[in-house]
Amino acid sequence: MEEKRNLASDGSDAPRVGIYICHCGGNISDHVDVEVLCEKAEKIPGVAVARRNMFMCSDPGQELIMEDIRSGKVNRIVVASCSPSLHEMTFRSALERAGANPYVYEHANIREQVSWVHHGEPATEKAFQLISAAAAKARLLEPLEPLRVEARRHATVIGAGIAGLRAAVDLADRGFQVALLEKTPFAGGRVARLDRLAPTGEAASEAILSLARRVMEHPAITFYPCAQVVGFDGYVGNFSLELQVEPPAAEDAVPPSNLPPAGDGEPVFVPSRGVLLGPLPTEKGRIQVETGVVVLATGFKPYTPRKGEYGYGELPEVMTLPQFIEALRDAQADGSVLMLSGRPIRSIAMIHCVGSRQIPGIHEEDASGYLNEYCSRTCCSATLFAANQVRTRYPETRVFEFYRDIRAYGRGQEELYQEAARNKVLFLRFEPEDPPRVERSDGSSGTPLVVRVKDALTFGEEVQVPADLVVLAVGMEPTGIQDLVDLMKLPVGADRFLLEVHPKLRPVELATTGLLLAGTCQAPMDVSEACNAASAAASKAASLLAKGYVQLDPFVAEVDMEKCQGTGSCVEACLADGAIELVDVVVNGETVRRARVVQALCLGCGACVAACPSGAIQVKGSTLAQFEAMVDAIASHEAA
Amino acid sequence: MAFVDLSFPDELERFGVSTTLDCFNCGTCAAICPLIYEHFPRQMIRYAQIGARDRILENGVELWRCLHCGLCTQTCPREANPGELILGLRRYVLHHWRRDGHVPS
Repeated sequence: MEEKRNLASDGSDAPRVGIYICHCGGNISDHVDVEVLCEKAEKIPGVAVARRNMFMCSDPGQELIMEDIRSGKVNRIVVASCSPSLHEMTFRSALERAGANPYVYEHANIREQVSWVHHGEPATEKAFQLISAAAAKARLLEPLEPLRVEARRHATVIGAGIAGLRAAVDLADRGFQVALLEKTPFAGGRVARLDRLAPTGEAASEAILSLARRVMEHPAITFYPCAQVVGFDGYVGNFSLELQVEPPAAEDAVPPSNLPPAGDGEPVFVPSRGVLLGPLPTEKGRIQVETGVVVLATGFKPYTPRKGEYGYGELPEVMTLPQFIEALRDAQADGSVLMLSGRPIRSIAMIHCVGSRQIPGIHEEDASGYLNEYCSRTCCSATLFAANQVRTRYPETRVFEFYRDIRAYGRGQEELYQEAARNKVLFLRFEPEDPPRVERSDGSSGTPLVVRVKDALTFGEEVQVPADLVVLAVGMEPTGIQDLVDLMKLPVGADRFLLEVHPKLRPVELATTGLLLAGTCQAPMDVSEACNAASAAASKAASLLAKGYVQLDPFVAEVDMEKCQGTGSCVEACLADGAIELVDVVVNGETVRRARVVQALCLGCGACVAACPSGAIQVKGSTLAQFEAMVDAIASHEAA
Repeated sequence: MAFVDLSFPDELERFGVSTTLDCFNCGTCAAICPLIYEHFPRQMIRYAQIGARDRILENGVELWRCLHCGLCTQTCPREANPGELILGLRRYVLHHWRRDGHVPS
């Protein structure tokens, strides 16, 4: 292996650059004269061979490169093709497979930066300049070794809702130690406040209990109730968290009858609160957790309507869907009419999209100036499900649904909509600028409330619905975790949910390697989607930690101890906290301060390089000398 | 308009229509109807859904435009049988016509 890797610096180590030009079907070759380009590239100093191919990323294209490496014809590679974000990794791995060091590679983007934006002669000209620059840099490339960071086989999950429980169990089953943190005394999160889960109708308590039992039984999982994260540092494989634990507040105190009987290992479910998984802290304290990855499962909170929004907070007959679900759970199970607090409910008006899909100029911003412009995705099905429950349990209670669009997108959810129609639920549709108005009745309706709406389905005529109860299908907002966002520098999207690296290709990873997302802290999701995300985060975490070390790209800063004068300007310029530190070293019997890079924290941004007065710090793979060579190549071309 | 009255879809069952609330107002029936008459039969079906008895009786004559071709019933994605619903509404209107004074003057 060592021998193969040293190919670029073996006996005959004069740089021999190979240039590989891609047609990209016609994406490039329709605008860039690749034939001319290839002829000219071959004449660039230090270039041993220039070739072209219809698709360099294809197997035959890659084979072209690998064959030249194996035969010793080239020992530095430049591919001129699409954006490096697309195929740089493809070609680096081709180098590796041919036995070369994957870092003696430079990429020239002649598609996005050339053929897609320039045409004719200037396009070919620019492509040649980029290739000359890349070749000049390639000649100076040195083999690099990827960084290896030891990784603790330990994961921390923040939040013990359904996603946190799922992630903890998955990680423990894969053989990792897990710390499961929860700020309340209970596991189960928001799901604990639900009764039956749409669309299948299984009991929410059972879903939580089946995971909670495994958490309780699993020797590898430590559950920390009443815990908050107050300190965080480190890097992938070596994070350390400081927890603050406090005895539960008085309102969280549980009636003794609900406490688990001594010696019985069975977790106890307390409706609306969750599962007690063991003793709660009795005094304040701090706990240090050393861990390899952190899975964020901090969840959501339901939108709280403004006072007066659809009568909320002003009319006692108006409640949110989560409140209604709890009321329905606790109501007498049978009877022809639903009774709530001794009051017969003959007519329920349910209003969709409350606090979701808000439109600037139509809806009012919240106190901090935000609008929830996203769809909360779960409320349609939850509302339909609740309507069906009411209709099947209490045939004399009528249900009216006021909606903008029905978005019942998942398996079994469209069926809920059909079932609601069969259950004789009446749907009324409103436009966002003409929302239903909830008003006190003048008595003519025989109900305390009347809901008026310009019903789009009745061609805009105003329709009045008598209502004993109004239920607002409120959307989801992320839990307030500003403290964690600040502490862990978490990226937050415009919608205030945590933001993944890439919505499709890296859907559960955060930009900081080793931080992962599970569940509704990322976006509105239903229970199955939250569990999907949690399992995905767990398997991503496992693949990071499984080898016991984490491999990172070697593009980090490096200090030349000969040149360093210990001015500390690099430390000041550094954007990643703790990536450069000043340490005392002994030089010629004298103790002096010198900069030292903590490689796993370094972002490779180069801010330190620009700040160093003595040119003592460089970013590997992008050294000043390499950049100068690139500039020279472009400048000499200009002059010619 | 008066209050929505869900006892009407129940009442229509006596006139042979049990699918009133199955309709989800997509408008396919109106699009396929060869009468090319504004919103027919969709609007009538909606009036039946919300129990707008007056609107149905006021516009009862429209129900007799229907040719009973069956295209709406054939294409209805909810199998709500709109053709039969229109026939049921005819029976309802006939039943109430003279008694409620809805004879056109």
